[in-house]
Amino acid sequence: MATLSLQHIDKIYDNNVQAVFDFNLEVKDGELIVLVGPSGCGKSTTLRMVAGLEDISNGHLLLDGKDITQAPAKDRDMAMVFQNYALYGHMTVYENMAFSLTMRKEDPNVIHKKVLAAAEILNLTTQLNKKPSQLSGGQRQRVAMGRSIVRTPKVFLFDEPLSNLDAKLRGSTRREILLLHKRLKATMLYVTHDQTEALTLADRIVCMSMGHVQQVGTPLELYDTPANLFVAGFIGLPPMNFFDVTVKGGALVGKGMTVKLSEDQKNTLRSYEGKTIVLGVRPENIVLGDDVTIKVTSNENLGMNTLVHGNIKGGDKITGKLRGWCDYKNGDEVKVSFDRMHFFDKETTNAIRGEV
Amino acid sequence: MTDQDRQIKTDRMRYIKNKFSSNLALVAIIFDVFFFVSIYKSDVSTYYYTLLIGVSIVYNLAFMLAAFLSSEGVKSYGEGYCYLLIVLGIIQFVRIFIIPWRASHAEVTIANEAVVVMGSAQFLRCTLFLVISGICCIVAAVVGIQRSRTLKAYVATLGEEHRRD
Repeated sequence: MATLSLQHIDKIYDNNVQAVFDFNLEVKDGELIVLVGPSGCGKSTTLRMVAGLEDISNGHLLLDGKDITQAPAKDRDMAMVFQNYALYGHMTVYENMAFSLTMRKEDPNVIHKKVLAAAEILNLTTQLNKKPSQLSGGQRQRVAMGRSIVRTPKVFLFDEPLSNLDAKLRGSTRREILLLHKRLKATMLYVTHDQTEALTLADRIVCMSMGHVQQVGTPLELYDTPANLFVAGFIGLPPMNFFDVTVKGGALVGKGMTVKLSEDQKNTLRSYEGKTIVLGVRPENIVLGDDVTIKVTSNENLGMNTLVHGNIKGGDKITGKLRGWCDYKNGDEVKVSFDRMHFFDKETTNAIRGEV
Repeated sequence: MTDQDRQIKTDRMRYIKNKFSSNLALVAIIFDVFFFVSIYKSDVSTYYYTLLIGVSIVYNLAFMLAAFLSSEGVKSYGEGYCYLLIVLGIIQFVRIFIIPWRASHAEVTIANEAVVVMGSAQFLRCTLFLVISGICCIVAAVVGIQRSRTLKAYVATLGEEHRRD
């Protein structure tokens, strides 16, 4: 397998629109990196530049230390799995999987061994004689993956491979990709806009917005210590609640709330005394307590948890994820506390480090 | 080729169609077309205006249909279609002695002059097309029978699970 190095990569289209700004990333051997972000953030463009399907405007792309910035796609030894599978409808599963090797005029017996091995890994052995139209979406996506596996490329590239699947199938195929990664120990770049996929699959996540890398880190780092407001709001479902608050005498004072700070938190926010900052609280960090009063507007029971939507008295909207089955009615008042808080600079939107 | 290579080659047949036989059957159709567009000549009076030429036209259509169906059948290692191809191939040889042979020995009088209906060059051409078409059918059938029997014997050695693939 391989290491991949993206150094100061920019993508500027002919009409001078810049899609990617100064992208830097070192992908270790056997690592699964997920590029995540909203539509139009430049994640697919970055992947296509790595694949050689888009020119790199500035910067360097290194595969195992060798500069492949200008190398054509066919010489990059990478395999890409597309969202729409890109299978040949008139060919069987076997022929689809064997196609790239047949084009390279490899020995038919070697091709046969590779296809059967890939089919075994992907649990497609009994489907080899079927045409793509006879397969389910998940099976088709596995065939697309099989077509990549038989090539034994140095790097696997996935461009939103699960977007065409329904929620249940997406979950099972996601687990299969994870198993595949563990089994092949391959270097993989995976693009998705689904943060659940990113959190469950990635060794490291690259969170992007408007062509800029916002944060690179493990799923836990992005969830637990988001670098800025964008990452905090993008990672986590339901998204983090944000409130404008002022640091005043060891407490955070906002519309309809006064939250006392611990000593550690006071130290973190010492330089912000008297200033307005953004307080971030994840829904799952909202617990029944007595710091803030919420006027309930709706209540969604999810079985193990209940999503409580409401307004802080005289203030902002808030969503809490409370444990257990709750039956709050519209207009009920619930008193809650925050068991973990994140602080962000209002001007720079960067996290104020040292939060507890 | 080692035994293992041979076994892999046979195993491949479970997933790869018999394109060789199938394509040969299609080639047979093409040469049959060459044949029937080569026999007609408009400068031999009413020689061809007989029931025989009608039957020949209908048979050409039937041949093309049967050969095409057989082409699809042998592609999937259907042994029965191979026997149909053998019959079609033999008939192609027999056909040499119907229209081309007869026409090459027939004369018509045009402007008080005796003219041979099918000259030797045209006869050779028609015969060649029928021979090639017939050989293609028979080779396709022989290869098809051999491959389908090999595959059948191989599949019989596999477990029940593989047989269902």
